[in-house]
Amino acid sequence: MDSKPSVDAGNPKLQPPYPQLLDPRSERGPGESGDRSGQPPLPVKIVVAGGFGVGKTTTVSVISEIPLLTTEAAMTEVAAHIDRTGHVPEKTTTTVALDFGCITIDEEIKLYLFGTPGQDRFGFMWHDLTQGALGALVIVDTRRLEDCYAAVDYFEHHDIPFVVAANRFDGRLEHHLEDVRWALAVSDETPLISFDARQRRSVRDALLSVLHMSLARAEYSSVVG
Amino acid sequence: MVLSSTPGDDERRPLPDPGLIRPYVDEPGGVDDRPDERPSGSNGAPPYPEPSGVRPYLLTGGRVRPVDASLEIEAQVKTTSAGRADAVRLAYEYRDIVLLCAQPIAIAEVAARLGLHLGVARVLTSDLIEAGYLAVRRPDAGLHQNKKIIERVIRGLQAIR
Ligand SMILES: Nc1nc2c(ncn2[C@@H]2O[C@H](COP(=O)(O)OP(=O)(O)OP(=O)(O)O)[C@@H](O)[C@H]2O)c(=O)[nH]1
Ligand SMILES: [Mg+2]
Repeated sequence: MDSKPSVDAGNPKLQPPYPQLLDPRSERGPGESGDRSGQPPLPVKIVVAGGFGVGKTTTVSVISEIPLLTTEAAMTEVAAHIDRTGHVPEKTTTTVALDFGCITIDEEIKLYLFGTPGQDRFGFMWHDLTQGALGALVIVDTRRLEDCYAAVDYFEHHDIPFVVAANRFDGRLEHHLEDVRWALAVSDETPLISFDARQRRSVRDALLSVLHMSLARAEYSSVVG
Repeated sequence: MVLSSTPGDDERRPLPDPGLIRPYVDEPGGVDDRPDERPSGSNGAPPYPEPSGVRPYLLTGGRVRPVDASLEIEAQVKTTSAGRADAVRLAYEYRDIVLLCAQPIAIAEVAARLGLHLGVARVLTSDLIEAGYLAVRRPDAGLHQNKKIIERVIRGLQAIR
């Protein structure tokens, strides 16, 4: 505690970058709003979506700096448009598992990766999950392309930058990427890549292509808006 | 109940008794669908304080979106000095959270590490934030469109080997 670096508490620019290293005494009690010195990191997130068993969990865990964590979230499904039995629109709640990990980006930013099964129906939880996301990685298994339709639809509709990434199971793809593009009917602007969910660098590069989409959108909206 | 402070002596709001909000698990039929927004200072002499509109959310098992725009699952929470000081006096659900968040972590992380449903973790952490026991940092609005931030994330990822 006494080894605390000397800090001019009056000048925020002189605050050391790592809040957790600060002397806890420098924190104030409840009711404070600023607490600049002990401020938690700024969280950002990327969503990792796709059908069942496509490699979402593998992708997140290979690059996360913490062991993969899992939590359960309630997902409200508005059954109206999917109910083909003619029943009255109804809401049901199911529980889905959410896998996640994180990466410390710099002294301030922490990147979270949330992996979740793409469902046919998206509700409440998907809004929560994607709200404010930098972008999304939609993983596909080229043997079961249809599993990712729902996720692709969702991200297109909500104007969330995304990249479709075919997981190379056993180092090979069942289809050529251009055939995949055709089958998914994604626009030419949507990057389509292949990657290996078990290789950290491959996952890193897949995430980087998502971020380049995010950047392109940010540049676009700053020009347009 | 669980609190040390006398009401009104500072900004803190008393925490609800987490034992009373346990019936999170869906209660088909017994659903309270009222909107969460209540006139503040309603004089119905509730059996417990209801500071944050948690109950309707809990009773409906997540079917109703909490009105006080819910905390993002990636929002970072960290225990304040008041939280550390009062930890031992808190009901154990709250105490666990206050002890867990010595280092800042995400709401989702609170849920995962304590084996709580995400919705429950969100409600309990909101209570603690309101009580001044947790400091919070939420993602800024428009963050995902902020070029500088995105560029920093790109640089950070590029450093991964
Ligand atoms: N051979 C090979 N196996 C892989 C690859 N990626 C994932 N797997 C395996 O495929 C299975 C499913 O991968 P997960 O990462 O659990 O997939 P998921 O999308 O999280 O699956 P769910 O959560 O069940 O929807 C696991 O047994 C992985 O080990 C890959 O690139 N090659
Ligand atoms: Mg999984």
